[in-house]
Amino acid sequence: MRVLAAALALTVMLPAATRGATAATAVVDLGGSRAYVRSDPGLALCGITLFVRAGLERQGANQNGLAALVAESVLRQRTSTGVPITDAVSALGGSLSYAVAAQYVRFYLEGPADSIDGLAALVSHAVAAPVFDTATLTAARAALGARIADDERDPRQVGMEMLRESHYLGGAGMPALGTTSSLAAFAPADVQAFFAGWYGRGDAFVTVVGRTGPASSTASAALIAALPAGAAAHAAAVSTRPYGTQPKRLVTRRDVFAPFVVIGFAAPSLGDPDFPAALVMRTLLAEVLERPSATTTPLLLRAGGTVYGYDTTPSQLTLWINGGMIDPTAGISAIDAVLKRAAAQPLTAAVVTRFKERARGEWALENLSLDERSWEIGNAVAQGLDADAAAQVDAAIAGVTPADLQRVAERYFQRFDVALVLPRAGPGG
Amino acid sequence: MKKAALAAAFLVAVLAAPAGARSAQPPLLPAASIGSTQGVTPAGMMYSVTPDPAQPAAAVALWYRAPASGFGAVPAAGLSRVAALTVAASTPITGTPLARLAQELGARLTIEAFPDSVSITVLVSPEHAARIVRAMTADYFAPVTDAAGLALAQHDAAEDGLYRSYDAPDAVEDAVESVLFNSGPFHDGTIALPKAVAALTLDDVRAFAERAFRPANAVLVLTGNVTAATVAEAATRDGALSSAEPLVHQTVAVPGSPSQRTSSVAATGLGWAGPAIDDEVAATSLDFIADALFSPQAGSVQRSLGSLDAKVSGTYVTYHDPGLFVVTISGPDAQAALPIVRHAIAQAAVPMNPASFAAARAAFAFRLLSDMETPEQLADTFGWYAVEGNLAYAPAGDRYFHVAAGLTPQVVARAAARFLGPAPAIVTLVPARAPSPAKQS
Repeated sequence: MRVLAAALALTVMLPAATRGATAATAVVDLGGSRAYVRSDPGLALCGITLFVRAGLERQGANQNGLAALVAESVLRQRTSTGVPITDAVSALGGSLSYAVAAQYVRFYLEGPADSIDGLAALVSHAVAAPVFDTATLTAARAALGARIADDERDPRQVGMEMLRESHYLGGAGMPALGTTSSLAAFAPADVQAFFAGWYGRGDAFVTVVGRTGPASSTASAALIAALPAGAAAHAAAVSTRPYGTQPKRLVTRRDVFAPFVVIGFAAPSLGDPDFPAALVMRTLLAEVLERPSATTTPLLLRAGGTVYGYDTTPSQLTLWINGGMIDPTAGISAIDAVLKRAAAQPLTAAVVTRFKERARGEWALENLSLDERSWEIGNAVAQGLDADAAAQVDAAIAGVTPADLQRVAERYFQRFDVALVLPRAGPGG
Repeated sequence: MKKAALAAAFLVAVLAAPAGARSAQPPLLPAASIGSTQGVTPAGMMYSVTPDPAQPAAAVALWYRAPASGFGAVPAAGLSRVAALTVAASTPITGTPLARLAQELGARLTIEAFPDSVSITVLVSPEHAARIVRAMTADYFAPVTDAAGLALAQHDAAEDGLYRSYDAPDAVEDAVESVLFNSGPFHDGTIALPKAVAALTLDDVRAFAERAFRPANAVLVLTGNVTAATVAEAATRDGALSSAEPLVHQTVAVPGSPSQRTSSVAATGLGWAGPAIDDEVAATSLDFIADALFSPQAGSVQRSLGSLDAKVSGTYVTYHDPGLFVVTISGPDAQAALPIVRHAIAQAAVPMNPASFAAARAAFAFRLLSDMETPEQLADTFGWYAVEGNLAYAPAGDRYFHVAAGLTPQVVARAAARFLGPAPAIVTLVPARAPSPAKQS
């Protein structure tokens, strides 16, 4: 990573680290916390993500959905004049959203570069002293309930959630948004306690992308400073349940038109030396399920695809098959044959070269929007990596050898679990 | 603005300032500080390059002025899409179809057909942008079409047509245009169902490709992590016709009584003819109104729906002449939502209070900018405005910002009264009834 002469007032630059292939992220000290700044002056907007170590992993045994409820409630705070914070941000020409992951929750603020400080001031107000009263929680539960219902309609999402619950232990394995019944059980005091316990400034950092300048500097500092002082008593850590020699078969029924099969594998995390080879393997697996097409097939019309959960360490890679477009049994058989073959002996150099080329191209398109680019930096930092770790992956893919692929196929892709999302039985069905 | 999730940018400073928040009006800022280079090659190809070296990818796009249903007197539904797909899937003299090349490079190839234009876009890693420019221009400027490519194209186009026929806004736009315009590309529409697609022959596709995909009818758009020098990689073609296809003026029909059509989805559509693309103040005003009323979650109509189970979308499509303002209402409570929509449209002719206007304009500007973050989105913007005949007005540049900055509540209200005041074309889409169990037996 390269340290740029970022125009952050009253800040101290940190020493340079490794330089990324194309990215160049500056690290700026915000009085103990850090801002990771990757500027794109070609855009008019600035995106700032506040990463807080208050993700799913922080949830206790009876706290399913609490991380999401707290984050949603923060977003539902009101300004000093009583306007919902998201409306106030929108009225000033910006947007505010959040997402909950296993190891962090992130709040993403986007707006015009020269007024992002004004937007951040509104968000800071919400983060500094959130009110978790009954009305706020009721609204937050309703919003989460709608999102849960949306996710329930997506069979891929349902299958991936089942496999996540099966693979990850503790809070990290709980449904990301909880369930309607688990959310109903939380009182304001529960929400307040979670916020007080995990929303510490000492664990937080921000990433800044797009057009940057004095306003983004002010905004970054304000967002961090708004959080309560202190850090969590212990670092976030995620543990997993190893896959067995025989695949676990998880079955559910939903209102879907066709059966979906979702297969989950343990996978190397972003910082793992095997990560680049696993990306090549991802490309290879995806191609097995592709049909010839005159264009890149839109997601909705694909027979299958993959989702690499490298937002968590250890990671999980899932592969889904749309039973309405391809015979699930045939799809699984084809995948199984490819994996066994890849593990048994090295693929030819020509084949590996072809898939490496494609994997490198796909990696370049992995994170394009400001939100994604901001996440990319923060996700690496949250996992203890260089802020430009993702940018260094391209060169690493180029160095993958047939032996690397064979090792990864053998180590990670021979054991898996399977989730089946089946249509509900109709009358007489 | 361009249809769907388009783009634009503008008065960052002005829009960011709520009433009274800042004492002086800051200077206007464009969407991007990195400039665009535009011109015409000796072969007659128009180009637009907007480099941004901080972007992780590059977009390479070819846009053509070409009717969706072909140049012939008898419309051939889906022809532009099938022709563009066929070229991408056929084996050119270089040996590798564009579709396969994109796949091998991990790139994303998309082909979109609009009533009067068609686009081919590849989103690719920067190191391969020049290679894609070479391949794409060579393939389209001297198009090779073969039976295998046509078969693949017909499969993809049929699937796309079927899918879009179930998408309420797409289905409504086609239906409204068929009612609002007497003839021509807008009347003919873009959704082609499998039967129509299957009827297209290799001869149809070849004839269309030869005429539509000439260099002189092309606009090459490069955005993202590219350099201006990449334009030089474009192929040429000797002997091709040297002029672009003319811009088509559409004739608006006098709206009659509401009409009803059989469709795959249930929905109601309202459509008004808007200003020509050269009437920039009016066109920008209608962009603003569409955003203020119908923006997902934030639009005033969306908020007025309350607990109604209805989906409402609205957009202004900046065609050459005239544009189209179209609203789609669907869902179980669509009938209850219709008066809310009509009332909101009527109210648009009343000037907003200054504070509300400032907030709405700030939100409008942000959403425009937010829709232009990626190279692909930016390429769509430039390509659209180029084929519609006013590239300088593309919302990625200064001009659109200045026009938008000059909007006032009164200006917007006047545009609403003029263009949305007349009775709209109203179309109700009714799903075809499935045969009853008794008839099935």
